[in-house]
Amino acid sequence: MSTVTPHTTPTQTHTWSPAARAAATFLVLVYLAAVILPPLAGPPPASELANAVIQPFRPLIGLLSLGHGYRFFAPDPGPGHSIRWSMQMPDGSTRVGCIPDTSNDRPRLLYHRRFMISEKIASFVPFVDAPEAVRIEAKPRWQPLVKGVAGQLLARHRGQQVTLQLVEHYLPTPEEVIRGQNGEDLITPLGTYAFPEERLP
Amino acid sequence: MNIHSSPSAGSHGVPDRGLFSRTGQGGAHEGRIREGWIREWVDGWNTFWFTPTDPLPLALVRIAVGALLTWSSIVWLLDADAFFGDHAWLLASDAWRMNDQPWQWSGYFACSSGAAIRLVAIVTLIAAVLLTIGLATPLAAVVALMGFVSAANRAPLNVFGFDDVLGMLLIAVAVGPAGAVLSVDRLVFPRPPSALRSVRATLAIRLIQVHLCVIYFFSGCGKLLGASWWEGTALWGSIANSCYRTLDLTWLANHPFVVNALTLSTLLWEVSYPAVVWPRLTRRIVLGMAVAVHMGIGLTMGMMEFGLAMIVANMAFVPAETWRRLCRMPPP
Repeated sequence: MSTVTPHTTPTQTHTWSPAARAAATFLVLVYLAAVILPPLAGPPPASELANAVIQPFRPLIGLLSLGHGYRFFAPDPGPGHSIRWSMQMPDGSTRVGCIPDTSNDRPRLLYHRRFMISEKIASFVPFVDAPEAVRIEAKPRWQPLVKGVAGQLLARHRGQQVTLQLVEHYLPTPEEVIRGQNGEDLITPLGTYAFPEERLP
Repeated sequence: MNIHSSPSAGSHGVPDRGLFSRTGQGGAHEGRIREGWIREWVDGWNTFWFTPTDPLPLALVRIAVGALLTWSSIVWLLDADAFFGDHAWLLASDAWRMNDQPWQWSGYFACSSGAAIRLVAIVTLIAAVLLTIGLATPLAAVVALMGFVSAANRAPLNVFGFDDVLGMLLIAVAVGPAGAVLSVDRLVFPRPPSALRSVRATLAIRLIQVHLCVIYFFSGCGKLLGASWWEGTALWGSIANSCYRTLDLTWLANHPFVVNALTLSTLLWEVSYPAVVWPRLTRRIVLGMAVAVHMGIGLTMGMMEFGLAMIVANMAFVPAETWRRLCRMPPP
């Protein structure tokens, strides 16, 4: 099978000295290791070997922001998530909203950047009916993230207190769509948060 | 790894050094074969990474990635305090929770005021514009990469596949002579066409090509873990997801075989990409499929930036000769 270089027909080879090529080869191999190891080492399932081998490369991975899993829409495309919020304002009124806000988050890239907040937090939050031990274990992972979101909402809207809920949007089957039916969204409470007085924006 | 036939190759792509001639006996013969095999690997590696090539494909990638980073920087700036400020969606002190790597630096970590945050974002925006037009390209590429990494490392709660691909492309653009053609730099400092071919251009394009194969390999392998990809229903999960939907394709509920076919062809294409993108025989089909899949994602799921970034990365596999023909440019 003909496997000629994809981007040009070479007319000249190896203008670099052997020493320069050796140095470049070393750098290329280190870079490729930093590219290949993160998706091997995570997200789960991942081997202990990959997690051991990646350790010396972690500084480079952090330096160039290469720590990606590349598992787009995998293993299965699941339901979408949003965060519904209800805020108590200083004048006693209540304001409600959603992250992301399909109607107001424009342009679309801004929508996606905000959509990632609910999607990534959802990946840490167990189902509302999960065993209590699972929920207790997971809370230290997601609660600091939710506190940050609450703090941003309170700072943005100058509210006093905000209550957050994670909404898992029901994913209808083809049969349900044909019948015109839709199931119920799954709601998971994320807590109520207020700024301490000294941190008010 | 005989990715590329050596320029000094014989008729079967084997270097014509007599290393495979059957004149020797026993150990000496085996030693020659082993030496020949290793030599062939070394030659293949050198040819793959270090053959000087036309920088035109890299310049085209530079223009596209510069434009995408310009747009991304504008969007970051639309809500800069919420992404990078003291009361950001993700507090700076919690950034490690999303991607815990040492040396996970960011220019935004050092910013204590809204003005400083906007300054870093605007510097990145200016670098992105300069990169697009090819003015002070080497410096612009490095500053653009630093600005990009600063944003990705400070706001990991807000990044997604688009940013992963943008980073990959920016690293390659910073490595290679991305401003060698189609740039303001070239207008100001003209060079003879014969001086354009460059090893760094090869390295940069090869880094994109190999990295892209890694992305498709792991993305495809990840899908193989999911039952819906085997059942041919995975695409329905995207079609029925109202959070992504920008084009209503739920009418496909009445055409399950179409959903099956689209799902399975996407899976097979992605899993096989790292192998079949290299031979000329299949490359056009694979790249055509890439454009179709990524435009489809862009149009139906509202992720046009991600789709365009992936298409730009695939451009690295289009030969320089093809671009020169399309752009009506003479060869260097």
